Amino acid sequence: MSTDNRMLTMAEALREAMGIAMDERPEVFILGEDIGIYGGAFGVTGDLYHRFSPERVIDTPISELGIVGAAVGAALSGMRPIVEIQFSDFTAQAMDQIANQAAKIHFMLGGALHVPLVLRTPQGSGTGAAAQHSQNLETWFANVPGLKVVVPSNPADAKGLLLSAIDDPNPVIFLEHKLLYKIPGRDPVPEGAIRIPLGVSQVVREGKDLTLVATGIMVNKSFEVCEKLAAEGISVTLIDPRTISPLDMNPIFESVEKTGRLLVVQEGPSHGGFINEVIARVSESSSFGSLIAPIKRLAGMNIPIPYAPQLEKAAVPQIEDIEIAARDLVKSWR
Amino acid sequence: MGHPLSSPEHARHALLYMYRIRKFEEAVEDLFGRGMMHGTMHLSIGQEAGPTGMCLALKLEDQITSTHRGHGHCIAKGADLTRMMAELLGKEIGYCGGRGGSMHIADAETGNLGANGVVGGGIPIAVGAALASKLQKKGTVAVSFFGDGAMNEGAFHEAANLAAIWKLPVILFCENNKYGMSSSTETAFAIDRLADRGLGYGIPGVTVDGNDVVAVYEACETAVARARNGEGPTLIETVTYRWKGHSRSDKNLYRTKEEIEEWKHLDPIPNFISKVLAAGILSQEDIDATAKMAQDQIIEAVNNAAQAKSAVPDGLLEAVFKAVSA
Amino acid sequence: MPKMSMTMETGELIDYHVKVGDRVNSGDVLFEVMTDKIDMEVESPADGVVEQLIGGVGATIEIGKPVLILLTDTEVMAFDFGGEATPLPPAPASIEVEQVVEEVVVVPEVIAPIAVAPTIVSQTFKAVPKARAFATESGIDLRTIVASGPDQTIMYADVANQRPSEEQLKRQAANRALIARGIEMTQNIPQASFTRSINISDSGMPHLISSWAKVLRSRPELNVSGKDGVLNQLVGVATIIESKYGSALPVYKNPDLMGKDELSALVSTTSSAAQHGKVPLSMLSGATTTVFDLRSYKMITTTPRLFPHQVTGLTIGESLDGSIALSLTIDLRHCDFYDGANLLELLVKTL
Repeated sequence: MSTDNRMLTMAEALREAMGIAMDERPEVFILGEDIGIYGGAFGVTGDLYHRFSPERVIDTPISELGIVGAAVGAALSGMRPIVEIQFSDFTAQAMDQIANQAAKIHFMLGGALHVPLVLRTPQGSGTGAAAQHSQNLETWFANVPGLKVVVPSNPADAKGLLLSAIDDPNPVIFLEHKLLYKIPGRDPVPEGAIRIPLGVSQVVREGKDLTLVATGIMVNKSFEVCEKLAAEGISVTLIDPRTISPLDMNPIFESVEKTGRLLVVQEGPSHGGFINEVIARVSESSSFGSLIAPIKRLAGMNIPIPYAPQLEKAAVPQIEDIEIAARDLVKSWR
Repeated sequence: MGHPLSSPEHARHALLYMYRIRKFEEAVEDLFGRGMMHGTMHLSIGQEAGPTGMCLALKLEDQITSTHRGHGHCIAKGADLTRMMAELLGKEIGYCGGRGGSMHIADAETGNLGANGVVGGGIPIAVGAALASKLQKKGTVAVSFFGDGAMNEGAFHEAANLAAIWKLPVILFCENNKYGMSSSTETAFAIDRLADRGLGYGIPGVTVDGNDVVAVYEACETAVARARNGEGPTLIETVTYRWKGHSRSDKNLYRTKEEIEEWKHLDPIPNFISKVLAAGILSQEDIDATAKMAQDQIIEAVNNAAQAKSAVPDGLLEAVFKAVSA
Repeated sequence: MPKMSMTMETGELIDYHVKVGDRVNSGDVLFEVMTDKIDMEVESPADGVVEQLIGGVGATIEIGKPVLILLTDTEVMAFDFGGEATPLPPAPASIEVEQVVEEVVVVPEVIAPIAVAPTIVSQTFKAVPKARAFATESGIDLRTIVASGPDQTIMYADVANQRPSEEQLKRQAANRALIARGIEMTQNIPQASFTRSINISDSGMPHLISSWAKVLRSRPELNVSGKDGVLNQLVGVATIIESKYGSALPVYKNPDLMGKDELSALVSTTSSAAQHGKVPLSMLSGATTTVFDLRSYKMITTTPRLFPHQVTGLTIGESLDGSIALSLTIDLRHCDFYDGANLLELLVKTL
């Protein structure tokens, strides 16, 4: 990778962010399984172990509960740990320390202490890793008061958001999609410590016919759909919340008032899913009166992710599904 | 602080703290019984020697994590009695502003990282604090207080292993009061001596009489020195007894009256008093005065707390996150 | 009676284990209690002698209430709560949700000019939110709209294409013409205006109209109407209401002689009627003065014009500091400056 080519992959962008943060602040350190010498199961930490030291990039045994708890304790003691949990599915092992401890300490203790912790983990399906290594857990974390939850959809955002997450004095769950690690995004990744604030949604493209809100990898699938529909004369506003908790609804309200049509897309299972929050809030708001079509949502099937590739694909929304839903909304409702 | 028998001052200090814990817990029992405290209370009457002995061996900047039965730990580490009582009474000036209650009292100024409502929840956190101490070369020690019940939680095992492999300055302090809720250690463990579990992780394990504050102190002093020397963690098991049921909801159904009577003879406070009188370090007047001082302090704390303003539901949403500075 | 569990409110005293005069040690069982969960033993908090048994065996006693009195050997801790030590209410089993009953306001039928009624297509309908909002605003009855959206749902397009009806267009044009003529008729009349700022507790239209009518009644020579300046017994206060049908000028006849509630109700129903273009004909004549309320436009004052055949006009505005600005305009041929100032003063006093 030449230095003037800034089309970094997401893994490279994340690594860059962590390197910058560790240079800026001595109290930042990383811990996780296989992240040191091995460079991380998905190669995200890479050479950070060599650039820094074993004290700053710490390899741990397979003890998710123990290491997240240790991270909480270190965060309470003036440090800023970044914990990498190898698969988001394994956060279940550490749930007491995430949801009962980290999320609640600041509130429960009346503000006496706070937990500046970042928990990074790969999520999502498409690698054939099957049910216990493919979950999208946005919904689990979004529903825990006291956690901030970030879902980057591209390398530039990933870098900027991770820098802000490390700065944040609160626990941040940073959900990265496995399929996005090895590919660059649409845009070059800015050099240096360019931060993107948490809690700000991004309008990826503007249109007048439909408002499309998607998270994570679904933003990228949706973008392709937008390009295709533009050629047919259908213009779509695509919005990526980036931070799903706390959620910035303002651009969404504004857009719905202009387009009158809303389509929401997420990867995780539909029942009780996070994306339903967007629908609920639009329903409750004055932008409801601008709707000229029913609100439509696409989400994963309510099944564990199956193994065989054609089954795995069928379990979550694909580009064709998004395209059909979008076109139908615009054509059928005027 | 120093060895409790090393001087009248030290002896008085140890006695004062044990009395403070005892009187505080008795006051809580009284107030709860009158219906003035919400929820439930977990009392540690009879277990005063453990936290007192441990905290005598610590400095102010050393850290502790505590349990749902944590009033004693918090007091021994130097918490403000009024603020503790106020928290239990749901007042604004309480340690958590009324938002945490008995099981979540923390005091940043005295290195108290918080009591914990989840059994075993504080063990990995104390290990993390010790990790920070080592990485930042602060020279401080972290103590995790937990009960025999927590030793069967996955969190204990993961945390103990991490502490051992990284040689962290942490003391794993198990207060074995023979019962986790209603199951006795006899049914929950296949071993007799809980400190033996240290062997499984390569951590030295020490068992002491939990009703003897001098014995506890001596074991803690050794463990603290080890930790500060970079020699790693110690597992200390204090064998003690809980007089009152698990929480106020119990009826002592699972222990016999004889068992309870037998243990009352091992009350740590008279135990220490007889030692101190025999060694001629304090007089009976000193002892009575110390007892009265503790009692007066608790009465003052209760009066101040009871008359303080109750917490109001304003600012709850804003209290979830710490504000991000620009 | 001690609270012994989170939800306990009362305890049933089962039996005493001691009697009066017994010496007890700390920890000895004094009495047994049955609570919502289980049978519990209450222990003595100190060494001492049983002095009195208060609770009766079998009685149900509230937590915090006395059961037994013990004379202790040593001082036990006593606290000063600075007031009653009242027990907290027990944790609620369920929370009652109050039903919110909406009040339905019925607008009485008013006589309306005859218009052609569009045919009803369907008594029930489905419509998207924007279509509904638009229909309400435009006074379109959704039952008259043909639904062309999926699943027989009325789409926004189905209503948005509705042009204003012939009727509406005619009325808007007529309204504009009327106003133009009025301006033409009065532009050569010498007029003057005075303004006063006052703070009053009741600044509603009914009170203002009725007070002004009262003042005008005391100055019959200014209560003029008609081409010939004929004096009137009737005081007719016109007000101006804007709607999509144009400006309506309903006239309240002798509002100062009406009951307060009656007048308020009339003002209210007339305003609603005006919004639908349905002010009754009977209320569209007989004005001897006009009251112009500018407050909804956030104006402080304006240079009001007199209406044809009227000698006085009142404008109500809102000052920056929240007080009411009253502007009185007079026809100088009938009323001089001094008179005008007095009239306004009288109105201020009346209000």
